[in-house]
Formats: sequence, structure tokens, C-alpha cells
Amino acid sequence: MLDTLLFLVADGITNGAVYGLLALSLIVIYTVTRVVNIAQGEYVTLGALSFASALSGTFSVLSALVAAGLAAFALRDVAEQRLTGTMRMRIVLSRALWILIVLATAWLANLLPGSYWLAVLASLVATASLGTLIYRLTVEPVSDASPIVLLIVSVGVYMVLHGTAVVIWGAEPRSVPPAVDGGVGLGPVFVTYQSLWICASSLVAMIALYLFSERTLTGQALQATAVNRTGAQLCGIPVSIAGQLSFAIGAGFSALSGLLLAPLITANYDMGLPIGLKGFVAAALGGIVEYPTALVGVLLVGLTESFSAYQVSAYRDVVVYLMVIPILLWRNAVRPPETHGH
Amino acid sequence: MRTTMKRGFIAPGVSALLAAVSISSAAMAQDKPELRIAAIIAVTGPASALGAPERNAVELFDKTWSSRTDLPFKIKVISYDDGSDPTKSVSLTRKAIEEDKAHVVVCCTTTPGSMAIIDTVSAAKVTMISMASSLSIVEPASARPFTFKTPTSDKLMLQRTLDYMKRQGIKKIGFFGLEDAYGEGGLKELQNVAKDTGVELVATERFARQDTNFTPQALRLKQAGLDAAYIHAIPPSADLAHEALKRVGYTGPIYHGGGSSINAFVDIGKANVEGAIVGVGALNVYDQIKKDNPLRRVLAKFAELYDGAYGKGKVDLFAGQSWDAMMLAVDAYQRATASGAKVDDLAATRVAIKDAMEHTKEWPGVNGIFNITPTDHLGLDKRSTFLSQIKGGKFVLIEE
Repeated sequence: MLDTLLFLVADGITNGAVYGLLALSLIVIYTVTRVVNIAQGEYVTLGALSFASALSGTFSVLSALVAAGLAAFALRDVAEQRLTGTMRMRIVLSRALWILIVLATAWLANLLPGSYWLAVLASLVATASLGTLIYRLTVEPVSDASPIVLLIVSVGVYMVLHGTAVVIWGAEPRSVPPAVDGGVGLGPVFVTYQSLWICASSLVAMIALYLFSERTLTGQALQATAVNRTGAQLCGIPVSIAGQLSFAIGAGFSALSGLLLAPLITANYDMGLPIGLKGFVAAALGGIVEYPTALVGVLLVGLTESFSAYQVSAYRDVVVYLMVIPILLWRNAVRPPETHGH
Repeated sequence: MRTTMKRGFIAPGVSALLAAVSISSAAMAQDKPELRIAAIIAVTGPASALGAPERNAVELFDKTWSSRTDLPFKIKVISYDDGSDPTKSVSLTRKAIEEDKAHVVVCCTTTPGSMAIIDTVSAAKVTMISMASSLSIVEPASARPFTFKTPTSDKLMLQRTLDYMKRQGIKKIGFFGLEDAYGEGGLKELQNVAKDTGVELVATERFARQDTNFTPQALRLKQAGLDAAYIHAIPPSADLAHEALKRVGYTGPIYHGGGSSINAFVDIGKANVEGAIVGVGALNVYDQIKKDNPLRRVLAKFAELYDGAYGKGKVDLFAGQSWDAMMLAVDAYQRATASGAKVDDLAATRVAIKDAMEHTKEWPGVNGIFNITPTDHLGLDKRSTFLSQIKGGKFVLIEE
């Protein structure tokens, strides 16, 4: 019996770590831009698939698309009339560097197929850059709209990204080798190294995000925007840049969870949505604004999923998604919506 | 000067002659009746993994058959993509019947799509040949006179598998399958077949295609004290379920349904699925079945043709399903015209094709030997199913 318990807990925590990255992505994006991002799971898919293709040594079409998109926006920004010559120069140089990084990482990963870190880098850079593009393309033009409009926009983004993944990579699932093969027997429970790797990477990423937002000026600016957009704007924080940054972090974190998860469940175009939704359930525990509560939420979701799959496998998803109702009731009781203004 | 004059004279003469020839051959071709087959396939959408090889086989058929001039008729293939959407299957079927005047509709890739178009084809009295797995598409044949299908049924596959299990002394089995229409259909058949063969089904666990964790259910199965586990799913989840069982320390034999009998199963599972026993169609093991098996020649020819067009080792189950559908249509049309169907009367020809379909005898296809009758619209028997074991990343036939 103890074996079973340990197995369930180990797997619950591994999945919880994956959902954790998703929950954090959702919170970063929601607090800064007020977008409840339904499309979050798609960055998981894109991260996993571009990682798979980088690892197998085929040039990721996603990187090329992202580079083209960045170039298009660079042209638009340079054409802005009120700019002085030096400002134009600065835009051209910084964007050229950015595009270069996207293409260079993809090219390097392509040059040295099988190199784990290069593939991770290429996939993360491409997906995070895609996040900024999505922000500029879909959120910026309607940034003053109501949250419901932004939510619907994100549903549209989900459909486009989902279709794009099929067009680029096809419907066939791709198997991805783990960072380190094999595993370790912790007592009666066999845990793959990949599971440990997932937990460790998630933890490192979360700590890094914490340090970034507490210790750096940019991080503080992001926090300020999250607390009060108008106030931040009055203090001279460019809201557009903050939005782009939050989308880049969100997309990057989700892509990380995708490429970490891919060795366990293969990379395929359909993998993202349920992962995104489960991250959402966890984030809901923190009202999509509180990081620490969301982390409790992900453990809760991971473990509930694991135990309900053991007890009633046919209803495990029902159980997980049903958790939203008590969570919302609880949130409403502890913190009615009107008391925290966002 | 003279020669150029001459050439200038000859060239128009030759082209006039050529034109005359081409007109007469066009006229001759027009004399030949035309068999129009509409292939409506899920090339995009969720079922595209199945639809893509099906479309490949249809294109291959189009290339090899439409250009043939030795036949007493011409073949025209009309290809549509329904995007895995049953609503679109219906509208495309209607279009194929009314605008394209198709004699036969080869549709659909999925069971929901096939079920959706049954009313449309029945009303128009047009033969449809489905490539989907569920037996409910063609049963009962009396209520669905114009509906046929090519893939072997789960029932036949399960009978084969459970008979083999019984001979191996297996008494208690557990079901580990998808919770969608495919998995539930398999479970229902398994319950029936298990009762008939006297094998006891003691545990039922389910998972979804997109699940990230299969361990809890695998633990449950392990603790049920099974003699064998039966996985009814498609890759990659079939592989992941298999791996989960091994991970929790389950050491008994693991059986797989027909959903795992595609190359992707070993490509994804690699060494982890070594030793799995998979119910397969003849195509998986065509080079291993007995030389005197009538299927062998048909299979080898199709595999050679398909691999030649799309790359070595690419041939798979789904390609065979649309191929057989096209070939059955041609065979039925040939027999219908031979027995005097009026080819210029579209409605009469359509019905004649259906009648001919119902009298298909010992017809060797890629999926097995078809004996279609007015009461059995699938027409396959247990000769269409085989069991194989994964050895060295290959499907190796289990001799029985």
C-alpha cells in the first residue's frame, strides 16, 4: 500500500511541477496585461515540438517565422515619424541583434543535432519571442478593452497557434529522448531521472522568476504595472514593453514545461490544451494573481489528478476540473473580488 | 530555302494529323463509360494521422488506374478533405452525389463521419465504403443497404487475441484503454468476446489521448492480479500505457489491439515496447505469412507500389483501408457492367454497383479476403487478423 502511495505522490509532484510553470505563466500574463490566456497551453506544444525538431537537427520553421515577424515589427517601429535619427539607429541595431539571436540559436542547434542545451535554447528563444509577437499583434491594439474581449482574443490565438502547429509539424507524435536516460529506485518506487529533472528545473525557474521580480529594476517595473497600470504609466514605465516582457516570460516558461514534459509523453500538436487548463485550475486557487497560493494549487491539482486516476480512472479529469467550483467559492469567501482591485 | 519551305509545309500537316488523332481518341474515350469515385478523407484535423496515408493511397490509385487505357471504362477520382468534421463529410458527400455524379463514395476516415453520411447515401441510393473501424457503421446490413467498410473489426481481432490468450492459459485479464469512442467500442466488444471465450475481465482502467500520467491506473491493474493486460489505444498513448505498466513492476504479458499495429507504435516506444503482443492486419506481416496464402501476392504488390511512391517501409494499415475501398469499387463496377448494367443510366448503375458489392466472393484485398453478402457488409473473417510480437523493433508474426 505504501508503494502505491509513494508512486502516486511522486507522479503527482512531477505533474504538479509542470502545471506550476503553466500557472506562473498565466499569472505573469494576467497581472500585467489582464489577459486570461486560454492559449497558454499552445506555447507548451510549440516549445515541445520546436525542441523536438531542433534536437533531431531539422531547422525549426517556427524560428524562421518568428524572425520574420520580428523583422516586420522592426520595420513598423522604425517607420514611426516622431523618432530622431539616433533612436532609429538604436531600434534597428537592437532588433537586428534580437533576430540574429533567434536565427543563430536555431542554426546552431541545427548544426549540432542532438545537443540538448542548444536545442533548449533555440526552442526557448523562439517561443518566448513568439510571445512578444502575439502580444504586439493581438493584445496591444486592444489593450484598453475589457478583460472579456482579451479572453476572446486569446481563444482566437489558441485556434491559430493550434492550427499552425499541425501545419508545421503534422499530426504525427514525435518521441523525444530524455535529458538523462534511466532512473533511480527510491525504495520501491522507480523514478525516472527526467521526473527529477522536471522538478529541479521548475524549481530553478521559479526561483529565477522570484529573484528577477524582486531584485531587478525591470522586475520591479513589471510588478508596478501589475499593481496599477495607470500609476506605472505615470511613473514612466512603458506599458507596451511590460506587456511584451510578460508575454515573453509566460511563453518561455510554458515552452520550458513543454520541452521538459516531452520525453515522458512525446511531443505532439494536441498536447497543450489540457495542460494549460490544469495550470489554470491551479492558478485559480490564487485568483490568478498570487504566486505562492498558485504553487499550493499546482501540488493540489497534481496530487488530486494522480489519486483520482488511481481510484476512478474514468472520472479523473472530471474530478480535477470540478475543483474549480470549490476553489472559486473559497476565493469568494476569503477575498471577495471587490476588495482587490485589478 | 527549299527545305525550309518543305518543313513549313510538313509541320502544319503533322499537327493537323495529330489533332485528328487526338480528337478521335478523345471521341473513343468518350465512348467508354466513366466510373466516378469520390474519396472524402480527413486529411486535416484530429484524424489526420489516419487520413494522410489514406489520401496517399488514393493518389497512388489515381496515378496507376486513371491513366489506364486497357480497361473497357475510365476511372475518375474526386478527392475531398472533410477536416475530420462530420458536418463537412455530409455536405461533401451531398456535393459528390449531386454535382460530381459519383457512383461510389469512399468515406469516411472516422466512425462519427461515416455514421453521419449514412442517411445521405441511403436516400440517394449510392454505395459508400467507409474506412473507419466501428462495426456499427455496417450493422445491421438490412437497415444500411448501401453501407460497406474495409477495416477489419475489433470483434474479429479480439476473438483472435482472446483465443490465443486462452491457449496460453490466461484466465484473468485487465482492460487498459482510451476513454473516447474508439476505446469504449473496444471495451464493449471485449466484454462480449471475453464472455464467449470464458476469459474473465477483472479490471477496467481508462486514460485519455492527452494524459500526462498513466502510472495510477497501471498500479491499479498490477494490483488486480492479472494474467495479462490488454491495451486498447493508439500511439503515442498506447506506448505510454505500456511503459507505465512496466514501470510499476507489472511483469505479465501485455497485449495490444489493432490501434497499435502501425509503425508509429515501435517508433515511439522503441525498446520499451519490446515483447508486446499486437493484433495486426495482414499488411504488417505480409512478408512473413505463408507463401500459399492468397493475400500474400496482393499485399506484396501493394506494399511495393506504396513504398515505391512514398519511401521504403512507409506502407501502413490506413493506406490499405482506402486502397481496398477504391479497388472494391472498381471490382464491383466491373462485375456490374459485365452482368449488363446500363451504364448511361446513373441511378441504375449505382444500384447495380451495390448489388455487385453484395456478391463479392473470395476477393483478396489488403485487409483480408472479402466475402460480402446481403447480410454481411464487412465480409471479413478471421483470416484477416494475425497476432504479432514486437521483436527487435519489428512486428514478428506469431505462428499458431
